[in-house]
Formats: sequence, C-alpha cells, structure tokens
Amino acid sequence: MQTHLVMLVKDAAVFRSESTTMLRERLIEALGVEAVKTAPEDLAVYAFDAYTDGAPPSAVVLPASTRDVSAVVKIAREFGEPIVARGAGTGLCGGAVATAGGIVLSFARMNRILELDERNRRARVQPGVINLDLSRHVAASGLFYAPDPSSQKISTIGGNIATNAGGPHCLSYGTTVNHVLALEVVDHRGEVFTTSIDDAGYDLTAALVGSEGTLGVVTSAWLRLLAFPEAVRVWVAAFGDIDSASEAVSAIIGAGIVPTALEMMDSVITRAVEAAFAAGYPTDAGAVLLVEHAGVEEDVAAAETSIHAIVSQHGARSWRSARTAAERAALWAGRKGAAGATGRIAPNYYTQDVCVPRSRLPQALRAVESAAAENAVTVGNVFHAGDGNLHPLLMYDKRERKQVAAVVETGNAILQCAIDLGGTISGEHGIGWEKRDAMTRIYSTADLATMGRVRDVFDPARALNPEKIFPNGSRCPEVAPP
Amino acid sequence: MTATQERVRPDNAAGVTELVARCDAAGQKVCIVGGNTLEGMGFPPEREDVTLDMTALAGIVANERADLTIAARAGTPLRDVATLLAAQGQFVPFDAPQPHYATIGGTLAAGWLGPRRHLYGRVREYVIGSAIVLADGTIAHAGGMVVKNVAGYDMSRLYVGSFGTLGVLLQANFKTALLSPHARVFLAPLPEHTRERACAQLAALPIRPASAFWIEGFHNAVDGEDGAEGRILVSLEGSDALLERATRDLRSALGRAGVPDTHVVDAGAREAFERVVDAYVACLGERSITYRLFPFPDESARCARRLRELAGHFALHAESIVDVMNGDVVLRISDLDARALGSKIENFDDALHDAEPRAAVVAGKHSHRPFLRVWGEAPAAVDRMRALKRRFDPNGTLNPGRFVGGI
Repeated sequence: MQTHLVMLVKDAAVFRSESTTMLRERLIEALGVEAVKTAPEDLAVYAFDAYTDGAPPSAVVLPASTRDVSAVVKIAREFGEPIVARGAGTGLCGGAVATAGGIVLSFARMNRILELDERNRRARVQPGVINLDLSRHVAASGLFYAPDPSSQKISTIGGNIATNAGGPHCLSYGTTVNHVLALEVVDHRGEVFTTSIDDAGYDLTAALVGSEGTLGVVTSAWLRLLAFPEAVRVWVAAFGDIDSASEAVSAIIGAGIVPTALEMMDSVITRAVEAAFAAGYPTDAGAVLLVEHAGVEEDVAAAETSIHAIVSQHGARSWRSARTAAERAALWAGRKGAAGATGRIAPNYYTQDVCVPRSRLPQALRAVESAAAENAVTVGNVFHAGDGNLHPLLMYDKRERKQVAAVVETGNAILQCAIDLGGTISGEHGIGWEKRDAMTRIYSTADLATMGRVRDVFDPARALNPEKIFPNGSRCPEVAPP
Repeated sequence: MTATQERVRPDNAAGVTELVARCDAAGQKVCIVGGNTLEGMGFPPEREDVTLDMTALAGIVANERADLTIAARAGTPLRDVATLLAAQGQFVPFDAPQPHYATIGGTLAAGWLGPRRHLYGRVREYVIGSAIVLADGTIAHAGGMVVKNVAGYDMSRLYVGSFGTLGVLLQANFKTALLSPHARVFLAPLPEHTRERACAQLAALPIRPASAFWIEGFHNAVDGEDGAEGRILVSLEGSDALLERATRDLRSALGRAGVPDTHVVDAGAREAFERVVDAYVACLGERSITYRLFPFPDESARCARRLRELAGHFALHAESIVDVMNGDVVLRISDLDARALGSKIENFDDALHDAEPRAAVVAGKHSHRPFLRVWGEAPAAVDRMRALKRRFDPNGTLNPGRFVGGI
C-alpha cells in the first residue's frame, strides 16, 4: 500500500536502453508518433490506476483500431514485452498497472459507438466508450445499458468487461457478463477472433468477461440494452443504527422482494455526501437505505407498500419518497459520488469489496465495525446491501505509516471475516494485483490450476496482464511493508 | 461406435472421481448421461466404453431460502428443485423439456435455452458456483454461494453448455428468482393473414409476456386441438393487478392484428407452457428430425415461413414453433415413415444449412441423424475450443466426439 514514486523516477532513467528505443521506433512505425508515449512524465501518468501502488510501463500506446491493437501485440511479442490493457484507470485492484513492465494499451481513442440495433435492443461499441455515454447515446431510443458501476461517468466498457463490473442496479439486472452478447478479441499472438453467446460450442464470452485482460484484448463488444421501465420510484429509509438497517435488508430479501437497487450508507458516509452534494439524505441517522424499484406501475406501488412495512417493523425512523426525477437523480448522484466525498474526512481511503450471503449481512457489518474499532481506523460503509456486497471505506493518511499499517490490518480482518461467513474476496472490483495472493484463501490449488488451464490456452506465455488474478505465492500485497 | 462395455451409476462424488480417473488412465472413453431427455442433441460418441449414469448423485445440498440461493447435486431432476423452490416462492428458469427426468447436470451441460430467458435471463446467469470432476479425476470448485463474485475466471459459466466435454459436473449452485404469484395462458387460432402482424404486436407489448409461441402443427402437444390451423399461446406471469392490465393490453393487441378469439386459461397455465417446451424435443417415432434456430425476434416469423416452404420443396411435412419473444424457431421435419424421411433428410439438411447455417438438431431418433450437421456451422473460434478441450481432457476421455467440431 505504499506508492513507488521513487522507483518511478529511477525506472524512467533506466528507460532509455537500446532495446526500448527499438521498441519505441517499431511502435511509432506501426501506429504513428501521436499514438506512442514514452516520455518519463507520460509513463508516470500511466503507472497507476485507482489502487494505491503503481509501476511504470515501458511504453503507452493509444491504438485507434483493432488492426492497431493487433500490430502492437505482435510487436510486444517480438520484444518479449507484456501487454496491459487499460480503460479509464478507475480499477481499484491494480489490474491496469504494468507490474511486470510492458506496454500499456490505452483505449482512449477507441471510444466510438459503432452500431445501434434498436429493434433487437443491442449496440456494438469500442472498448474505450464510457459506460454512461452509452446510456446517454441510446436514451433517445428509450433504451439504457444496465450495469452502472459508481465510476460510470468515467469508466469504460472495456474495463467493465475486464472486471465483470457490477453496480447498484446489478441487484436486479445482473453484472456485466449478463449484458455482453458478443466480443471481438485480439489474442496473445495478435490474431483477431470473435465470440458470441449464441455460438455453438464453449461459452468463451463467459470466460473472457471478468478475466481482467489475461485471456485477450477486447476490441469491440455487442452489448444488450434494456428498455426504460414504465415506472421508477426511489425511497430513502433512515435508521438509528447500521445494525437495524442491515437486519431490514435481510428481511426485505428474505420476504421475497428484490428491488431494482438496495443500497446502504452509514452516518459517516451520509454526512460526507451531504457536505459535498446536498443530495437529500438525513444526516442525523445512523444508517440509511436507498431503495429503488422499477417496472410496471402496479408492481412498483405494491413494492412500496411491502418495503415500507418491513423497514418500519425494523425500526426505520423515517421513510421518504423522491417526488421528482430531479430528486431521484440527486440521491443517486450522492450515492455514486460517496467514495469521492470522503475526501472531506481523510486524504486517502482504501475500499474492500467482499461479498457475503445476504442473510449474513448484519454479522459482516458488525465484524467490519469491530475490526475498524480494534485498529482505530475510521470506516464508512456505502454498499450494495441487497447483494451482500460490502464496500467499507477505510480512511487514512498515507503519509502516516501507523495509519497505513492499521488500514492494512483492518482490510485483512474484513477479508477473513467475509471468507468465514461463506463469502468471497471480491464481489465486483476484481482481483487484479492487489488480491491475487488472497485467492489461495478461497480456492484450492486444484481450483486455481483449473483456471490456469484456461490461461494456458489463451495466453501460454503469460504475456497478457501478467501478475494479476493468479497468486504469486511469495508476495502478499496486503501485508507488504509500507 | 462400439457397444457399451460397462454402465456405472455412482451415488457419491468419490465414485465419479475414481471411475473417471481409472478410465482416463486406461484409455477408456466415458459417456455421461442424466435423464436422457436431450439425447437428440449432439453427435453420437466416437466410442463409448463406459456409460456414467449421473442420476443417483442427486439431492439438494443447501437450500438458503433467505439468501435466495440453492445448491443441488448434478443428478437432481429439475422438478425436484422446482417443487422445493416453489414452496418457498422461488424458481430458477430452467424451462427444459421433461423436468421430471431432466437433471441439473444434463440441462447445464446442454446449455439449454428456455423460452422465458428474454424476461428472466439465461440459466447461465443463475449459476453462482460449481464442482466438477476433470478427466484426471481431480475435483475443482468454482464460485460459491454468494450472488456476486468476480474472484478469478467464471469457470461455472464456462461449463454451462460444454456438453460434458470439459469435466463431469458434480454440483451446481444457483441464485433463485421470485416466483410470480399468478400465471395465465391465452390460446387463440391464428389465421394465415394475421400471423406476422400478431408476432410484431406481441413483441411490442408494454408488459412483456413470460412467453409467446406461434405454433403450427405439433398435434396434441399444446391444447388437444388437431393442429391443422396455426395457433398462438401466450403466457403472462405476475401479480393480480399486473395480469389484469396485461390481459387488456394483450386482447387489444391481438384484436388489432385481426386474431379472432382468445381463450383464457388460469388453472393449468404453467402446465400448458410446459407442454410447449416438451414439444421442442418430441419425436414422431423414427420418422422425424427437429431443428432449432436462433434468428433475431424481428426475423423469426419470416424465417419460420421460409423453412416451411423449404420443407415443402422436399415434400417433407413441417411443423414449427416460433418463440416470439426470443426469436427462436423450432422446426420438426417428418415423413410418412423412417425410410421416406431417410431418402430426403440429408439433402434437406444441406439446403437448410445453406439458408440458416446455425440450425442445430435438437431431437430425432432417425438413423441418419449422425450424418446431419447437428451443431450447425462451426463457430468462428472452434480451434480455440479444440485447444481448450485438449488442455482439460488431453486423452479425449469424456464424451468424445459428441460436441461442436467433433470435440
């Protein structure tokens, strides 16, 4: 959890080796000088994603086409350089960091929506398209793209596919994999292949989505679009404490009601959100639930009655319905901006992404609270309660070594608690660089070796995003000394 | 194909691992069977030394009602899972034929696509964990019992539709959906001039029906009618209030398309839906072959009409089911007897694939079935699929030759 800025400068000095100069020349020859960045200051920009650690690549390339991607992969192969595909760099696990060096492929220029097939509700896009831009583009046709990670204003479809990104509305619509219909992919040799969920044979699309750039580089995707629901309603329920709010969540799901979204924020978060956005959340509540239900008017009305009754039984102090579209949008903007709003509390935050069986939510939250208290770390909870997907934000100042150590300790305890409750180490952010060694805590050697067989077929030389997902065995990022 | 030497029906995981490891070491070929309900899919095995019958490895492993998750052994019949879930107001939309016999493992291995997937999603979207026996006898787990999990590759989804060629599924974990309190079915005759308009109207309904079929033929399969006339069967699911409004919308939409009279059934609505799904793979003795195609919804009505005309050119009898909401077309081709069918079916198969390269065979007991293009044209990535098979099952022990491209 310590930055490698000193390393960056040192590596940049080493950079001008002969082989790297040749690599640069070959890349420029293939893609043009505008598409290739090798200046130390450029490389430093691409050394990080939203994780705390970074490492500089040998070069950054901005392809404009599938042909460009193919050319870069072939050149990289010739020079023995790994390939790290990168969207907007919003990933939280170091998945887009060139930890083993190599070429970062930035998709900033491949950001076009290529086709919209309204009648069959699908669109073909390049990987650099920003998630929210797609929904905006198709809104005039009464359609939207369902996966909505909180980063959707900046994160890209390519990155979303790599991590199988989720978001609040995945509770009812499912994560990215449910919305990818077909892919065009450049393989480790630079050859192009396509997959489709409608093809006979193995579901390679399912294998590629969520593979974090280790099986191929996606160069375009057909995505499923959904029609706007007829009715959407958003409610905010306020509770005295996080315990009663999480009991209410388990009760809603247990009663057989699955709203479109069911999000929770504790008081640390709501206060930060209100200070930043004045979104409309009560600041005197111990926890709030943000509930959305969409669908046919009759069903939405029925859901409101049932959910209101359940939260009341579980001690909700207040229940408010957003009256206008603007009120709804403000509540959602506050929710999705929550992590950023914590900048008012501490200069840095670290997010965990564990997921537990939904009925275990109250236990998991108690464990988060006690782990944070034990280590004297300020924690804010803002998460996808309906899915059991926790995001405790651990706040710290990275200049304070003690605080860093305490956050590392707390994060580890939360991870272990989720595993003990039958949960997983990542619900939606991915494994990346950060959690690869934690994979052995939930999977056996045989389980991991089976995933390795897939890797063997698609990337035998481990040239595509090396040092991600699969454990190293010797390195444990969570306990790395600061 | 050689005669089967041995049939084994283990009732525990160790029985499966030992058998598979032994066969793999000895170069024996293992064919995996569940309820045999989809036996008309895929090529016959290249060789079959041992039949591994998975139906004794059955039962629910975990039923987490409040989490909306369930885990079942591979040999568990779909009906058992459905009955248990229905009692607690839940379901998984398997929607495969003959759910009394069809098993979890077989349905997942076949990658069966049900008619309600446009509304509830594909079964692959419900699979959250799995345990599988690889060809060398290793057991590998993937996923777990949480509804969101991105820890590593999604191996469980890769196994769905892999036709038992990557490993033998022992167990699958699912998230469940909420069962609608009410279901209603509409039946109406569909005169020739109304068909394509009716399909378009149905696809545009504001409240999406759970399923909608335009059926031609399939005597007795659906409603006890003789099937001479085209019919439509639409099912609605939801709350009372929703059904009331959907019913009004549906009646006026069908009225606009010129559909004469609609018969409403509430009791037995789910059974009527299941009879249509059963018909997808129903054989007429040895004198029929059934294909399934997946055009886009806006092309499916025209596609069905073209295929029926094509069958007419070969003097073959054609029956069809158009899944209006997803676009699938089921086409059952038959003749007076097996011999008559045999004289034409290979030429028909060629012509069909010229027009619709992806048409796949889903049912048929005719002896010429192995000579048809049962998986349709090979997918673009077939070489990568072969490589995957080699890496998982280097000796070609499991279900050899049955899958796409002879995998």
